[in-house]
Amino acid sequence: MTKSMIALDHIELTLGSGASSVHVLKDVSLRINSGQSVGIVGPSGSGKSTLLMVLAGLEQVDSGSVEIAGEKLEKMNEDEAAAFRGRNIGIVFQSFHLIPNMTALENVAVPLELAGNPDAFAIAERVLAAVGLADRVTHYPGELSGGEQQRVAIARALAPSPKILIADEPTGNLDTATGKQIADLLFEKQKELGLTLVLVTHDASLAGRCDREIRVRSGRIEADEDAPELAKTA
Amino acid sequence: MSESSPSRATPSLKLALAFALREMRSGLAGFYIFLACIALGVAAIGGVNSVANAVSAGISSQGQNILGGDLRFQLNQREVNPDERAFLESKGRVAVSANMRSMARLPDGSDQSLVELKAVDGAYPLYGSLVTTPAGDDEALFAEMNGAYGAAVAQVLLDRLNLKLGDRVLVGEKTFELRAVIDNEPDLLSDGFGFAPRMMVSLAGLDAAGLVQPGSLVEHSYKIALPAGSSEAALTEIRDQAKDKFPQAGWSIRGRTNAAPSLSANIERFSQFLTLVGLTALIVGGVGVANAVRAYIDAKRGVIATFKSLGAPGWFVIAVYLSQILIIALLGIAVGLVLAAIIPYVSGYALQNVLPIAAKGGFFPGALAWAALFGFLTTLAFAILPLGRARDVPATALFREQGFEQRGWPKPAYLLAAGVVIAVLCGLAVLFSYDRRIAIIFIGAVAFSFVVLRGVSLAVQWLARRAPRVRSTALRLAIGNIHRPGALTPSVVLSLGLGLTLLVTLALIDGSLRHQLAGNLPERAPNFFFVDIQSRQVDAFKEVLQKSAPNGKIVSAPMLRGRIVALNGTDVTKLTIPPEGAWVLRGDRGITYAKNVPENSALTKGDWWPADYTGEPLVSFSAEEATNLGLKVGDTVTVNVLGRNVTARIANLRQLQWESLAINFVMVFSPNTFAGAPHAWLATLTDPTSTAQEEAAVMRNVTQAFPAVTTVRVKDAITIANELVGQLAVAIRAAASVALVASILVLGGALAAGNRARVHDAVVLKTLGATRRTLIKAFSLEYMLLGLSTAIFALLAGGAAAWYIVVRVMTLPAYFQPEVGVMTVIIALVLTVGFGLAGTWRILGQKAAPILRNL
Repeated sequence: MTKSMIALDHIELTLGSGASSVHVLKDVSLRINSGQSVGIVGPSGSGKSTLLMVLAGLEQVDSGSVEIAGEKLEKMNEDEAAAFRGRNIGIVFQSFHLIPNMTALENVAVPLELAGNPDAFAIAERVLAAVGLADRVTHYPGELSGGEQQRVAIARALAPSPKILIADEPTGNLDTATGKQIADLLFEKQKELGLTLVLVTHDASLAGRCDREIRVRSGRIEADEDAPELAKTA
Repeated sequence: MSESSPSRATPSLKLALAFALREMRSGLAGFYIFLACIALGVAAIGGVNSVANAVSAGISSQGQNILGGDLRFQLNQREVNPDERAFLESKGRVAVSANMRSMARLPDGSDQSLVELKAVDGAYPLYGSLVTTPAGDDEALFAEMNGAYGAAVAQVLLDRLNLKLGDRVLVGEKTFELRAVIDNEPDLLSDGFGFAPRMMVSLAGLDAAGLVQPGSLVEHSYKIALPAGSSEAALTEIRDQAKDKFPQAGWSIRGRTNAAPSLSANIERFSQFLTLVGLTALIVGGVGVANAVRAYIDAKRGVIATFKSLGAPGWFVIAVYLSQILIIALLGIAVGLVLAAIIPYVSGYALQNVLPIAAKGGFFPGALAWAALFGFLTTLAFAILPLGRARDVPATALFREQGFEQRGWPKPAYLLAAGVVIAVLCGLAVLFSYDRRIAIIFIGAVAFSFVVLRGVSLAVQWLARRAPRVRSTALRLAIGNIHRPGALTPSVVLSLGLGLTLLVTLALIDGSLRHQLAGNLPERAPNFFFVDIQSRQVDAFKEVLQKSAPNGKIVSAPMLRGRIVALNGTDVTKLTIPPEGAWVLRGDRGITYAKNVPENSALTKGDWWPADYTGEPLVSFSAEEATNLGLKVGDTVTVNVLGRNVTARIANLRQLQWESLAINFVMVFSPNTFAGAPHAWLATLTDPTSTAQEEAAVMRNVTQAFPAVTTVRVKDAITIANELVGQLAVAIRAAASVALVASILVLGGALAAGNRARVHDAVVLKTLGATRRTLIKAFSLEYMLLGLSTAIFALLAGGAAAWYIVVRVMTLPAYFQPEVGVMTVIIALVLTVGFGLAGTWRILGQKAAPILRNL
């Protein structure tokens, strides 16, 4: 039986309160194996981004169990969850979210520095070279193209050697050609490093490149092409 | 690529500082108001205290010159006896002088002037030098030649009587030749510079003038130059010996280290008042700090969320931004300290006409550290709460691409931290203030103002929300802008309200004081005071006076000088007295005796003594001063009069009307207390219908008939007091304007921040068909309504504060000043509409399309 990197059991999540509350995730259970790439798709407001946030330990569930890399996230406070993310999870955002006053190198070094890694800058330089930005290390985000900024963001996510890579619409703000290059880079690194990749996308072709596709609708998993596997690992 | 360390360490403060410095690479944009506010407040507090230190340092470094000796023994109305003189002369070289007020009159009797007469001996001055034009020695300046003694005088006396050097004047019964103008009198500060021009003569000249009679108000000073190198311990030893050997002497002894205690105390008191005004500037500036930090944190929410998503704990995020805020605060403090360090040098020049002492510049680390500490604590106090919100920025917002707006209060830990810093700030302000009661009132007033201003902004918004729908589009937009979420109302009301309220308060106090002193003398205020009337002359004097002013009312009272030495048998030097009561114990006070309750006073407790009372000495004490000194009916007061200690029991308390300017004494004794003691009389003449010419005639007649009687015209005294108040008012206004400048800076910052937010509105309204004219009208109306409501609040709050200080603290009648109200409204409107439109104008000039694309 393959070991699960991500295990969600019967999670429930409601956001807001009173009349404005929204039941975002409803009895969601999910297993994702180590090294697997999973594309989460669904219409806007279906709960896919919230699911991603739960996996990243950024959103606490109301009930159910969230076990990532063998650790129970629902028992962690905010700072413990932050430290856990630093150790295990790399995140790539649709809008890159680079820190504007830091160079590409410094942006990539941030999670390593936060983890107390003494070789932060040397590692960051190598990772930037690995994503094809060796000649852009001293550039500020404002001096880089959208594709280059997303490469820096991927380098930043990969630099601390996470077990899991989470990507939220990683090509959503890019043109088709650049989007394809970024997707190629993501999958290349996922394979090369044996990462578990979970990405949320509206792009069917991008989702199609994943080992497994999960369709979310109204807060529930509507379709999971890897359901038999899920049954096996449960 | 899997190269990171497997173990995870906690990020360090050093890393937080490194991140903070990286974040600050984009410069200080958005922090200039913050910087200016802190720099201004620190400069005001540091500058005021440095100047006070410079003056105090001047006093102590020139102690020997200012005092005219190492030690000064001063006696009122009597000279030392042979034993006392022998004691003083055994200690060092002694210089003797006498000070009194008198009249200098022209030989033809056509004019006269009050003078501060100082008679010196050949040893004068022991330290420093008397500089005159022309220069001359003791003999040349003061000796009797050709039937006249010599005198050196202040230039102002020559100007006043239209005289030149070589001319003669009469003082008492003797003619004096004016031989020189005094350029520098080294011990002027300790001998008192006061209401009249200086006239310096010899002791022999004073004797010849026949002015010193039993009971005359004359101070005899014995200044001693100790052998060179005498220590402070030697000074203390001599003081102790003098007290032990002559316990009844009643002399006041002063050393070179405390040469001008009254001036020192006044400077300290005034500088601490100005420090509080400076602190107001800093607190007003603190609002600017809070605005700047809030805006900065708002702009950085995306970065904060990113840090968190990358594994940064909450405390680390706070550390990064707190470091940035403190770095900027330190920069502001540094700028403020540089300005503060320069101020003593600049003000030394400005003060040379006000203070008779060379207030040299200087570097005063203590005063600067004090200002820096206030600046630092104020920054912390105002930055903690907006910083606390950074801790709560959710990283999830990065996924949802949502806004980061946060409402409600920060976490309790940050409220607690802000509370602790504010408590420390208040504690320090109170602990180191001269008058803690005033400092506590100040803090209470500031806290109250914050609460009330918040209430005012809520009320204005509430009213705007409930305002009836108006037809004018511009007015409707303006009213809507006042109450909608994110409106400018709270920040404008708070920033402008604090500064404007302070300005109104000070303007009203100043106006009331001036009105009281200048234009609105009490109806019953006398026209003249006459002192040093000999007992045997009283009836003749009254006769001459009544002839000169047939409609005038004459009031007279016996007057002695006495110093309180003990209360209920306890030496007053061992008592702790609150500042408001200390003046009664400072030096000699005029005292009197009376058979009946004096005019202008009413008994509040106890009974008056019978007209033929002969028992133990009794005293009637002023009720307010008794309360301040903790005295009640039945307590005892020991007074040293003419070298004799007299203990009297308090028989009753009286309510006095000091503001009537009539004859008032803190202590009125039963007549038997001073039976047989030599004394002079004091008289007043009150004639509300008297003209200037009639007053001049009264002065002339009295001075000619009674040359030894000193005449003080109340209007002249008031004019001098007015000048003093004017000088103080300049300093107060300067400090208040610093607070107003801080207020304007904060207002400018708040309006600029508001303008950024309303780019969206303006552009959307323009795309929907609003003309620039409509928008300008709407914004102008909004700023006018805000300015007007703030001005109304400032007038009400400032009026109430000024009324309390004038009526309750100063016990003067309040005076309605409509011009202050008009000025306040104008200032408020100019500031709000001016600043507001200055920013909005730029927005309105922009094309809609590019802005819409970037919204």
